[in-house]
Amino acid sequence: MNAQQILEYIKQHCTADDWTITINEKDSHETRFAQNSITQHIAGSNIEVALQVSFGDKTGVGNINQTDAESIKNLIETAETMAKLNQPDPEFMPSCPAADLPQVLNRSEATLQLAPQEMVELVRQSIANGEKHPAQVSGMTEKHRYYSILCTSNGFYGECESTEFGHSMTMKKDAVETKVAYSGKDYARFDLNQWLDQLNSQFNSLSAPHVFEPERIAVILRPAAVQEFIGYMGWMMSRRYADEGITPYTDKLGTDFFGSNFSMVSTLKDDELYASPYFHGGIPSVEFDWVKKGSLFTLPTDRFWAKKTGSSPSTSYNLFIPGDGVSEEEMMKKAGRGIIINNFWYIRTVDMKSGEFTGMTRDGVLYFEDGIIRHAINNLRWNEIPHEATRRILASGVPILTSPDTKVPAMLIADFNFVDKTDF
Amino acid sequence: MKYLDIAIETALAQGAGYADIRIQRDTSQVIYLLNRSIKYAVNDVEHGYGIRVFKGGAWGFAHCNRFDDRTVADTARRACEIAALSAKVKKGAGLTLAPERSYIATYKTPVAIDPFDISMREKVDLMLEVNRTMLNYDGIRQAVFYLIIHKCEKLFASTLGTRLDLTTQLVDPMITATAVWEGDSQSRTFDEGGRATGWEWIQALDLTDKAKQIAEEALIKVKADTLGEEQRRTLILDPNHLGLTMHESVGHPTELDRVLGWEADFAGISFATPEKLGNYQYGSPIVNFMGDNTLAEGLATNAFDDDGVPAQKWFIIKDGILKEYGSTRDTAPQIGLAHSRGCNRATSYYNMPINRIPNLYLQPGKEPLTPAEMIAATDDGVYIQGRGSFSIDQHRINFQFGGDFFWEIKDGKLVRPLKKVLYKSCNPEFWNACDAICDERFFRPFGVINCGKGQPGQTGRMTHGAAPARFRNIRVGGSQ
Repeated sequence: MNAQQILEYIKQHCTADDWTITINEKDSHETRFAQNSITQHIAGSNIEVALQVSFGDKTGVGNINQTDAESIKNLIETAETMAKLNQPDPEFMPSCPAADLPQVLNRSEATLQLAPQEMVELVRQSIANGEKHPAQVSGMTEKHRYYSILCTSNGFYGECESTEFGHSMTMKKDAVETKVAYSGKDYARFDLNQWLDQLNSQFNSLSAPHVFEPERIAVILRPAAVQEFIGYMGWMMSRRYADEGITPYTDKLGTDFFGSNFSMVSTLKDDELYASPYFHGGIPSVEFDWVKKGSLFTLPTDRFWAKKTGSSPSTSYNLFIPGDGVSEEEMMKKAGRGIIINNFWYIRTVDMKSGEFTGMTRDGVLYFEDGIIRHAINNLRWNEIPHEATRRILASGVPILTSPDTKVPAMLIADFNFVDKTDF
Repeated sequence: MKYLDIAIETALAQGAGYADIRIQRDTSQVIYLLNRSIKYAVNDVEHGYGIRVFKGGAWGFAHCNRFDDRTVADTARRACEIAALSAKVKKGAGLTLAPERSYIATYKTPVAIDPFDISMREKVDLMLEVNRTMLNYDGIRQAVFYLIIHKCEKLFASTLGTRLDLTTQLVDPMITATAVWEGDSQSRTFDEGGRATGWEWIQALDLTDKAKQIAEEALIKVKADTLGEEQRRTLILDPNHLGLTMHESVGHPTELDRVLGWEADFAGISFATPEKLGNYQYGSPIVNFMGDNTLAEGLATNAFDDDGVPAQKWFIIKDGILKEYGSTRDTAPQIGLAHSRGCNRATSYYNMPINRIPNLYLQPGKEPLTPAEMIAATDDGVYIQGRGSFSIDQHRINFQFGGDFFWEIKDGKLVRPLKKVLYKSCNPEFWNACDAICDERFFRPFGVINCGKGQPGQTGRMTHGAAPARFRNIRVGGSQ
């Protein structure tokens, strides 16, 4: 059965009081390379049909990836049986009603038309570039097409088609190791030569690293590092967890909790950014200001907690951080002395209530003094509280797409707390 | 099953040097209870097949969820076409595969009570009782019970003539109590990481009693002192905590694909390079690590891996010296190994198998030693229980770990509970600082069900184990 036939079958045969059907289709091609050779190469498609049902306030969910009538019949029986045997959910919310959805374009024809042969050619050129140094190159070229449908017994219907293209390259020779990565919905916006230039520039800047002892020092976080740093902080931003006293955001809504030159939003207005037209089972996406010039404006809130607190449901369907357009050279002059970080790695929570995280630098670290880059240095460990770090932002750059749903600028942050070093 | 033959015959007809097909059905039941609200109660079935073709020194892998003769043959042909494309970008003659023979075998995880036979009502009633027990304590603001049961059924065939019918199962209950007190929140978790066994394990655990313990300990923890400035101290680590420490600092660095640089773009590489085999002092002489995919109730335990290589047991570190890696048929020949150690595993049918950590454990001490005796022989230190914050660099050298529950040790006694404790160390400092390991009476296994690795990402499963162990002169302090 195709997607519409599955919907019709479930509508006709489901006996539950309330239901939500989600159908997700995915078609992917992934070419993985390492040490100047393709090591894995994967293609295939899949479908997932999820049915959530309820009898009164007792719920059950079934997921399946087979689409014949017998399998869909079993799916209905499974979900309904689970619901009937479940206990009532005191936080039950009925499915969403019909809604007007925003128009978003998440589909790229260029990505859809990209042939496997062309993807292999991108890999070949990436390796050929590495061999000139000569260095070992590893990475992945991938393209995906996603299609999803959400339909509820209360009248909601939404669908979304999206595409994704990614190409990453890590180049390594002896102690020099660095990476660049593009990931977006549109292959047409990808220029391999531009990314090879950036990779070569980073690679050439990292020769002969000096030993650098950890200290509190100014950092320029390039956009990939900002995505990691702020992204992990974002995972903690839940209205419920704040209200229950578990995170740093307790009683902070409406206060100047972040630095005054820090804002972050989810937006439908940037055509480079992926944006789902709906969330939480059928709530139309709208513009969300999470932090507005330092003030904590909104926290992601699920439907039950929104009802309980008299607020509106919200979710971070993408992340955009505006910047001041300051160049890296100007940032170096402003700070005088500091380090430039290409990326972070293995960020993990240290303490939920204080909002403290730890992580390592990765893909190359540079030391600058008197406003100019002096030399590469070893990688460093940091322990930081990101929301406090935003109060030390001295400047920011132009927002850059770092993943299909994230666009952030480089940031100059004072007194970043490095606590340990590694020997490479 | 005829689809096995169709795939193999089609791949051979297309000139495959080697091919295999893995028909895999994964059935999961996941129930997530937040306080008294069932946020998620799902039964998930994922059924499909992946066909892997090795041709011209390169791999191609195609997967599909549709079962009919023509589609299976088309998928095999697609894998062959992809392998041919891969072969255009290879070093020299490309990859080679370690030799292996054919097998015809069946394996099933020993299960006394199949968790899928336990009704949803019985599971939810137990979970509600556990969460109510935690929420009955003043100061416990949040109670979470997360239950995962999983069954993986595989049919595997290869051009070597191998035919395998493999079924593995696991069950994993995780409960967390979060206490809020005077502007702080701290949680305490019971999580043994899952076991390859049946519902009988849940019955034996007495989770309601565990709920009381972790709720009480969460309340102790939220009111506990912090440690203050970082100093060189002695650490005593419990087996659950050590499970995560060894996973990150021994398990991943000894995956041969990382050693070869195959994970350089994402998961990272390894400092434990081949010239160190047989001579590198990874740990003190009492440190012995076994790779063991035959371990009873181990999450990586199976009769064969996804290369069709039998499960094995071997030393990875012996008497403190790095001896060998976990390997696969395509990684082993790269460093001249005669055969694979059987560590190639895929998570789902649509994943291409990758080099995974085996069940890996620290052998217990050979001399009789109890945890109480170990603490009594420690003047000044910290005892860490359970897993907390963890972070390690991409070469697997520098790391920082937290924990779930902490006691300060003074003059051989546990003197006060602590919170927000962190320790920093590195390889090879850490395992060389191990000066005592309790004996086999105190050995405990702990699973990992969410080991992220690969591009595209996969979540692997394996079991670790240890008896409590002591480490001298480690940097230990409090968080900010």
